Amino acid sequence: MNNKKARAFFMVPYLMWIILFVILPILLILWYSLTDANHHFTLSNFALFFKNGTFLKMMLNSFWYAFLITIITLVISYPTAYFLTKIKNQQIWLLLIILPTWINLLLKAYAFIGILGNNGLVNKFLHLFGLGPVNILFTDFAFIFVATYIEIPFMILPIYNAIKEINPAVIQASEDLGASKWQTFRYVLWPLSWPGVESGIQAIFIPSLSLFMLTRLIGGNRVITLGTAIEEYFMTTMNWNMGATIGVVLIFLMIVVMLLTGKKAKRKKVKL
Amino acid sequence: MEEQATGASACSYFCKMDIIQLKHINKRYDDGFIALKDINLKIESGKFYSLLGPSGSGKSTILRIIAGFTQPTEGEVWFDGKNITDLDPAKRQINTVFQNYALFPHLNVFENVAFGLKIKKLPLSQIKPKVKDALHMVRLDGYANREISELSGGQQQRVAIARAIVNEPKVLLLDESLSALDKRLRKEMQFELRAIQKKLGITFIFVTHDQEEALSMSDEIFVLNDGKIQQNGSPVDIYDEPINDFVARFIGESNLLPGRMIQDYEVEFANHHFQCADAGMKANEKVEVVIRPEDLDIVAPEKGKLVATAQTQLFLGDHFEIKAIDTDENEWLIHSTNGCQLNERIGLYFDPEDIHVMRQHESQADFDARLESYEGEESNDE
Amino acid sequence: MKKRQVLAKTYLLLVLIILYIPIFYLIYFSFSSGKDMNQFKSFTWAHYQALFQDNRLLAIFLETILLALLSSLIATVIGTMGALAISMVRKKSQQKVLLSLNNVLMVSPDVIIGASFLIFFTALGIGLNFGSVLLSHIAFSIPIVVLMVLPRLNEFDYALVDAARDLGASSYQVFTKVMLPALIPGIATGLFMALTYSLDDFAVTFFVTGNGFSTLSVEIYSRARQGIDLEVNALSTVMFLFVLLLVGIYYFITARKNKKTRKGLGGLIK
Repeated sequence: MNNKKARAFFMVPYLMWIILFVILPILLILWYSLTDANHHFTLSNFALFFKNGTFLKMMLNSFWYAFLITIITLVISYPTAYFLTKIKNQQIWLLLIILPTWINLLLKAYAFIGILGNNGLVNKFLHLFGLGPVNILFTDFAFIFVATYIEIPFMILPIYNAIKEINPAVIQASEDLGASKWQTFRYVLWPLSWPGVESGIQAIFIPSLSLFMLTRLIGGNRVITLGTAIEEYFMTTMNWNMGATIGVVLIFLMIVVMLLTGKKAKRKKVKL
Repeated sequence: MEEQATGASACSYFCKMDIIQLKHINKRYDDGFIALKDINLKIESGKFYSLLGPSGSGKSTILRIIAGFTQPTEGEVWFDGKNITDLDPAKRQINTVFQNYALFPHLNVFENVAFGLKIKKLPLSQIKPKVKDALHMVRLDGYANREISELSGGQQQRVAIARAIVNEPKVLLLDESLSALDKRLRKEMQFELRAIQKKLGITFIFVTHDQEEALSMSDEIFVLNDGKIQQNGSPVDIYDEPINDFVARFIGESNLLPGRMIQDYEVEFANHHFQCADAGMKANEKVEVVIRPEDLDIVAPEKGKLVATAQTQLFLGDHFEIKAIDTDENEWLIHSTNGCQLNERIGLYFDPEDIHVMRQHESQADFDARLESYEGEESNDE
Repeated sequence: MKKRQVLAKTYLLLVLIILYIPIFYLIYFSFSSGKDMNQFKSFTWAHYQALFQDNRLLAIFLETILLALLSSLIATVIGTMGALAISMVRKKSQQKVLLSLNNVLMVSPDVIIGASFLIFFTALGIGLNFGSVLLSHIAFSIPIVVLMVLPRLNEFDYALVDAARDLGASSYQVFTKVMLPALIPGIATGLFMALTYSLDDFAVTFFVTGNGFSTLSVEIYSRARQGIDLEVNALSTVMFLFVLLLVGIYYFITARKNKKTRKGLGGLIK
């Protein structure tokens, strides 16, 4: 009895939050996507999205860039995380890697306006080799580069934790059973550190769809991803219905991606 | 895998072949800790060996050096007539059963056992029967598709053994492999391990800190302490004839007293002179004397070689454990099938051959030399 | 062995250099008397002087901190209550539904959260100002608090409740004297995470803020869009020092508190 009262007491504010800030916003964005500016029901927003090649191209672009950012980040971060587990004074190194994430993202993005500029650090460096000046700032490459830079620590940490949890004896067991370094990585280290890689991918792939401020500041103010498109429709052209439509498509794609990656592969049974 | 010495298997029966030899192995860690000091040992093929010692004695380091996980600072490791000191663990015909099994948590039983064979790129048609045999050997038929997390400790232990023996190693290393199991299961596995070793006919090197385990399973034991081999020999040798106080204390329970050698075959301790079976020491040399608790008999005070007062008595099922103090204030531990009364005056009786006289800190080599000079005159064993 | 350590260190150092170049680049030019980040002219404190006389920026700075503190505190209270409520739900299926709903905001892209909250506030006629931003920050911080507290609750030994009852504690006393203390570590991490979420956020705030209110992130964004402004560089230096100070304090506290449990740093990152 008492328990029920307590539960109600705790549940009410939390449920209020769920209804107001989780369910209602989803319903509202869905509602906006299915109406026009005069609140009349319509499917024309979706029709426009799927008929107009620029949206589809943008969609592919978004996922392609998110994919690139994730992969490049992974390639740089995995060895970093691995080496981190092997080194002395790990706590200090780890702290040094986490520290930059505490600096406001916008400040770091702002720094790259200077670094990637025509007279910036990169071009000065290239000049030493008689190259350039290369126009880097305001290109898609700049966007991917800076996004990768920002996401690296968020990939390193989960992988580091996952590798750290692996029993070192298991690696030795693999070598003991005749596996080469590569085979040990391929068959033991990689699958065992996969949970960390997975959470790293999750921490990067979806958020990188929202980096509209980077496309604005670094990517040359062009609308190249769905995130930027949503921002454009909501904040600039004020066509909320179209913006909501893009949002709904993005949500749908996210769910598909999550369902696809969340599925655990069933193991084959062997008969002896 | 190079197939060498077609007669190897025949040899293991007829001639004693050293499959592993450690020559002057020293190991010093980066932090300055000296784990091993001039270890020399020979391992014959087809036998069950134990490396026995307390933690930090260096026994696991020896195992890791044989497996190849640790490089000796100095010295050489020979395997089957070849120097393998610098050989990668992956390339040694030696497999290990790890302390906490180190099974691959992401693979099931079949995949764990098949791991080594898959690495060798064997076709599945050859892998399957081998895995089946190995699982049969450890009595896990029908467990192939189980997940590791579904297995009990004892079953995981068996998978670890199967995973190692399926590769048909010439030597199997077992690192404290039974220490995580409960007592009953451990006993069971001791029998089974011994049976598996007999069946396979390969060398087992078993690291343990449990003297009972080592005594019950091994053909030969190396007792280690402080990075040195204290004594090696058959379980009976080591139990009956510990060569120093460490071995005496570590193997079994014992009454250890300071004493003085009067002359050959006569020793003094507890303020009395006794006949004994030991010789080869200097007259009046200070020695240590060991008498096993089960070698002490409780008799009437006038019949005893020593007289003592019983202090405590515990009934342990198959015998009594009695603590008594003799007239010289020495404490004695007695294992006897007869009980006694507390504070009762009792006599302690023992035969001359129950007295083991040891020089302080005598090494195995010195002991062997001393024994040799008296060989023939009288055997030390009864 | 030694060779691998060298390789590891070299690689890690390279990564660190890349991670820190932008930060030090900003700091370096904050002392330049020039107008851009291309050529260091001569040393000057001018940008710092400008920064500390910039009342608007200082106000925004304080408001950002106030926002973070308020939103994280409220989110921690509601989130902790939510975790308690979830743990009290008997049916596993209902628990699962609640948890899934809880995680919706965790996995959604910020733009979607921002856009949907914008629609939400407009639909309800709530003005876009400090209030709307505060509500948004509370809303997106609640799920992380729940996720931090819930494991503690699952580990909680309910025999302690019986024991406390047996010793005569009232329900209220059981809650405040037995349960809450056991949850404190989870609640503290949750609060800390909520704080960083709020301080870090740009995208959601950008959508739901109006003319009257701005956070540091939004302000930097709007200044950066207008081009290089070395006052922003000076601000970077100040914030970097601020972070160093915080980390120093954090390190000092944890180093003293738990010398053995080496988990501390994991909580530093979201």
